[in-house]
Amino acid sequence: MRFELDEEHALLKQSVRDFLAKEAALDQMRPVMEENPEGYPPALYRQIAELGYPGVWLPESRGGAEMGHVGLAVVLHEMGRSALPGPFLDLVIAAELLYQASGDDAAHALAGLLAGDTIAVVAHAENAAGRSSDPLHTRGSGGRVLGRKRFVPFGASADGLVVTTREGIAWVARPADGWNATALRSLDHAQRLVDLDLDHAAALVAEGDAARRAWARAQQLGAFGAAAWLLGGMERALEITLDYLKERQAFGVPIGSFQALQHRAADMMLRTESSRAAVYRAAWALDAAPDEAPLLVATAKAYAGEAARYVCGQAIQLHGGVGFTWEYDPHLFFKRTKTLEQFYGVTGDQLEAVLQARGL
Amino acid sequence: MDLAFSASHRRFRSELREWFAAHIDRPWRHELADPNRDADALVAVRRDFQRKLHAAGYLGMDWPEEWGGRGATVVEKAIFSEEMQRADAPPIANFLGLALLGPALIHHGTEEQRRRFIPKMLSADEIWCQGFSEPGAGSDLAGLRTRAEPDGEHFRITGQKVWTTFGPWADWIFVLARTDPGDRYGGITFFLMPLDQPGVEVRPLKQITGDAEFGEVFFDGALARSEHIVGKIGEGWKIAMTVLSYERGSTSLADPAKNDRYLDDLIAGVGGRLGNRDVRTKLAWLLVENEVMRANGLRTLATLASGQVPGPESSIEKLFWSEYAQRQADVALELLGAEAHLVAGSPGARPEMDWAHELLYSRAGTIYSGSSEIQRNIIAKRALRLPVR
Repeated sequence: MRFELDEEHALLKQSVRDFLAKEAALDQMRPVMEENPEGYPPALYRQIAELGYPGVWLPESRGGAEMGHVGLAVVLHEMGRSALPGPFLDLVIAAELLYQASGDDAAHALAGLLAGDTIAVVAHAENAAGRSSDPLHTRGSGGRVLGRKRFVPFGASADGLVVTTREGIAWVARPADGWNATALRSLDHAQRLVDLDLDHAAALVAEGDAARRAWARAQQLGAFGAAAWLLGGMERALEITLDYLKERQAFGVPIGSFQALQHRAADMMLRTESSRAAVYRAAWALDAAPDEAPLLVATAKAYAGEAARYVCGQAIQLHGGVGFTWEYDPHLFFKRTKTLEQFYGVTGDQLEAVLQARGL
Repeated sequence: MDLAFSASHRRFRSELREWFAAHIDRPWRHELADPNRDADALVAVRRDFQRKLHAAGYLGMDWPEEWGGRGATVVEKAIFSEEMQRADAPPIANFLGLALLGPALIHHGTEEQRRRFIPKMLSADEIWCQGFSEPGAGSDLAGLRTRAEPDGEHFRITGQKVWTTFGPWADWIFVLARTDPGDRYGGITFFLMPLDQPGVEVRPLKQITGDAEFGEVFFDGALARSEHIVGKIGEGWKIAMTVLSYERGSTSLADPAKNDRYLDDLIAGVGGRLGNRDVRTKLAWLLVENEVMRANGLRTLATLASGQVPGPESSIEKLFWSEYAQRQADVALELLGAEAHLVAGSPGARPEMDWAHELLYSRAGTIYSGSSEIQRNIIAKRALRLPVR
């Protein structure tokens, strides 16, 4: 038994960390989050693709790096630490759907995504709560998609969409005259959500049971990915807070010497470390014990969501007044936590998945 | 990373399952609920069961074979504790001796001490209790004031110990006493003493559960023989702190296994109300947290198994299981309602689970073995390196 990363994954972790420190430091990314219309630097995402991160868990035969879900967890964990802006997790989910799908259109779209030529995201939500309708309103028959998709992440600038429709999963390449998009502004100013009115030529790449299986698997991967990202976010928020507790003076001493704040920090650590155990156990199960994966992925996402809410909220609290300012960093992690909690498998759904795994 | 149990671990687990199935007369919960079993009778059941475990070679799992152990790995020891919980076996009678004193003697004792004490510890012929805490020294253990004064070549012990688990049934006690009032840590010595002697009085102490599982021990010039000092004079604190670490990882999987049983009873009890959203949410959170606890346990075990010393994981595990147990009992009483207030043996009580006892008993977990507050201090200072005032 071994909890530590294998050499291959430890090297991957170091290279992701080094790359992000150099190319995506928080002070470089702040203006991107605030002002860049796409919400990410396209050149950075091309580099990310060249490094093989968007397909890190996929088999080499399909253009992936074949480093398993532990590899994927490592990448997302590090991205969470750096609060990387943009659609990386959305690319991962889109890649999984295209990988599960069949036919030349899907294969071509997946290759373009992994090569960094295209940014593809998933469009599935149809109502104000950000959930799919049942059955879906969006139609995908006759070589077209027709419908309205809501809260599509980074949808305005996407080169392609993987769209859930009543008939199955459709691939839509960006039309020459662009998308019919309404930009939304959410509490997470780094997100770029849009509502899309779709009436375009499309290829149905998975139908019937195959489509349902692919969608279930993509949702699970999204929840797992969000949990790993949440772990990174809370880990970094805790580190920033510890630095502040050690340097900020009040009443003539560092505020980190006060027991009330020490115990709060200890609770933040308990949740962070417990999330680490849960996330990597889920990653291991996805690679090596698939029967346990449904329970362990849902467990990790539900727990990490709550944990990150606590840790990132307390990061603001322990910074005091400056924690409420735009200038200090805790709000970046706090906001992303809320995005990941809501848009990648809400906690209530994870709890249901846990009960289902117990046959309840 | 690799969280899988090896083939030999899996074989060991199935061997244990067969053994427990064949050797447990009835689950411990049924013993507890039996109105004919008083506290003494329950201790007798535990003593008998310990002897069966010993005969089968399952005690002192990770001790050297020369001292009656089987030289097992930390993972096997954890699997043993887990399977014991899953089977709801009678708890080991001499658990304090085996968990704390045995390792202390193996690491710090003399050859003669090992020969004299270890066999009877394993066979449950001598039951041990732990004399660490005092009325004025709980979390601040080094503030203990029980004195050890030289009397010829031996020592005379005077003072009071409290919260002495198993005190009323113990034959011997391992005691921390002060040999030098001027040296807070270096003035403490680790003594082994028989309780049946002049100058020792053990009084049962009734807990909030109504049981008297622990007691107070009063020493008034009781004799502690110099050949029964573990380590050297003044090494008591150091030894006491190291023995607490020998148990690391051994219960990492046992608590989640125990909770699995408890949750099964809760799920059976809510039965027809599983369609209720509030019931589902509360149950699901318990399942999630118990699974996270298991993840923490696997991490600790895997860390130990790869030859490393866990860092803050021990404090995190302690906080997690003890605080979880309180939440679990609270939710159970809320979801099950009135019947869960009934204690074992009461008409109308749930036959398989004494939630009332669990609710009360769970209040102890956040206090003993380093209170939650002490655990948070440890995390803040040792793991987070926050400044000391």
